[in-house]
Amino acid sequence: MHRTLTLASLAVASLAVSPFLGIGAAVAANGDTTANLQPVALNGVDASGTAMVQVNGNKIDVTMAATGLLPDNPHAAHIHFGADARHECPTAGDDAKGDGTIDTTDGDPAYGPIVVSLTKTGDTSPDSGLAVDRFDTAPGGELSYERGSITVAPEIATAIADGNAVVVVHGVDHNGSGKYDGKTKSDLDPSLPTEATDPAICGVLVSAPSGGADTGYGGTASNDNSGLIALGGGLLLAGTGAGAVAARKGRARI
Amino acid sequence: MHKHWEQGGRRGAISAAAVAVLLLVAGAVVIVIGVRGSTEPSPAASTMPSATSTQGDSASKPKKPRGVAARELPTPRSDFGLVLPGSSPVALTIPSIEVNANKIVDLGVAEDGSIEVPEDASAPGWFTPGPAPGQLGPAVIAGHVDSESGPAVFHRLGDLGQGDRVKVTRRDGSVATFAVDRVESYKKNAFPTRAVYGTTNRAELRLITCGGRYDSETGYLSNTVAFAHLVNA
Repeated sequence: MHRTLTLASLAVASLAVSPFLGIGAAVAANGDTTANLQPVALNGVDASGTAMVQVNGNKIDVTMAATGLLPDNPHAAHIHFGADARHECPTAGDDAKGDGTIDTTDGDPAYGPIVVSLTKTGDTSPDSGLAVDRFDTAPGGELSYERGSITVAPEIATAIADGNAVVVVHGVDHNGSGKYDGKTKSDLDPSLPTEATDPAICGVLVSAPSGGADTGYGGTASNDNSGLIALGGGLLLAGTGAGAVAARKGRARI
Repeated sequence: MHKHWEQGGRRGAISAAAVAVLLLVAGAVVIVIGVRGSTEPSPAASTMPSATSTQGDSASKPKKPRGVAARELPTPRSDFGLVLPGSSPVALTIPSIEVNANKIVDLGVAEDGSIEVPEDASAPGWFTPGPAPGQLGPAVIAGHVDSESGPAVFHRLGDLGQGDRVKVTRRDGSVATFAVDRVESYKKNAFPTRAVYGTTNRAELRLITCGGRYDSETGYLSNTVAFAHLVNA
């Protein structure tokens, strides 16, 4: 009897403690992440933007805005993640073929494959990665995107919340013709010019700062007695806790 | 621990109960002293940031204009207004509250996940993982409301009013001028991450400092946030 009670209270205690130690049962992914979208190395794009992905379990809400993109042409946009990827945006060193540009294959070691297609309507799976009729066309070079409740696999939700996923907006105009053209074909889809799928801007989704900012030392704070009140509250709580222990001890002896 | 419990027996229960009573009494006494003490007029109270100064009219404020001319396109044309290329901020001036900071430090994310804050109470800090002031999106600059001995660089942030100008000098020599849209106060445990760090369809700026009640254990309980947007450069 004693033993059972003791084990039970130990179990309760460890349950109460485990969230603070970060151990115990797996918790659904949660968190707000932001990406600062910057031009991809070597691709000559003068664009920038930001994205926010809010993770709630297996759902994500995505907002994104960018400016300076090739106007009035579809810009495929994705969340990329690969367990073996570097979780970064590609650098000039990723130009494996040495052709002076970063294409989608060059970017793969940095950010991995497509895991979410940021389409405006319909399917958001990797299958829609090149669904050019469902991506924003950046009128005036400005891309504005918002889509809520996109369902993702648990491991993808976790990857995003952990800061390991990357937002990439594709579509560049290497030759300045104002449209996607050129002899080089896309390594993803040979029916498209590589300009249509080369990465334009990129940003790693990192956790937004949690909570507020500790921007005060108290040198001008009023001398209120909140500290004393808090101390009193703490003593009250401790008293209640001790009372509970006393009560439990009483019961345990029965 | 549990061994002690098993052996504690009745005597342990009695002494624990006694401790509980003592703590309860002590807690109540301390609270009474604390509450009485805090009813005395506090000369410093008037220097507390008036964090809600412009909060009243923020709710009724019309939303910012979005692409006006409807085109024969499925996507309405967006209009982000003036947007500058990336360049780090180097100085910050807010004439209406006499802020003149000639040094801006870099801020990232601290070990505990919160935004870093400047060590120097007189220097605001730019949150470098986000956009630069003038770029598309929400640029964030945080500064202290006070040091341990007196007012700091953003002491009067709560006094900002709608339309007040904030000038940010950037490394490329440009001066990005922002107009204040509103000033809000948020409890730190209910900080609106989306509103402060989330996507915006124009170049915006957030100035953050501390406010609200000060707790000697945990510091200020609230943050004052001024929201502004780029008007010229």
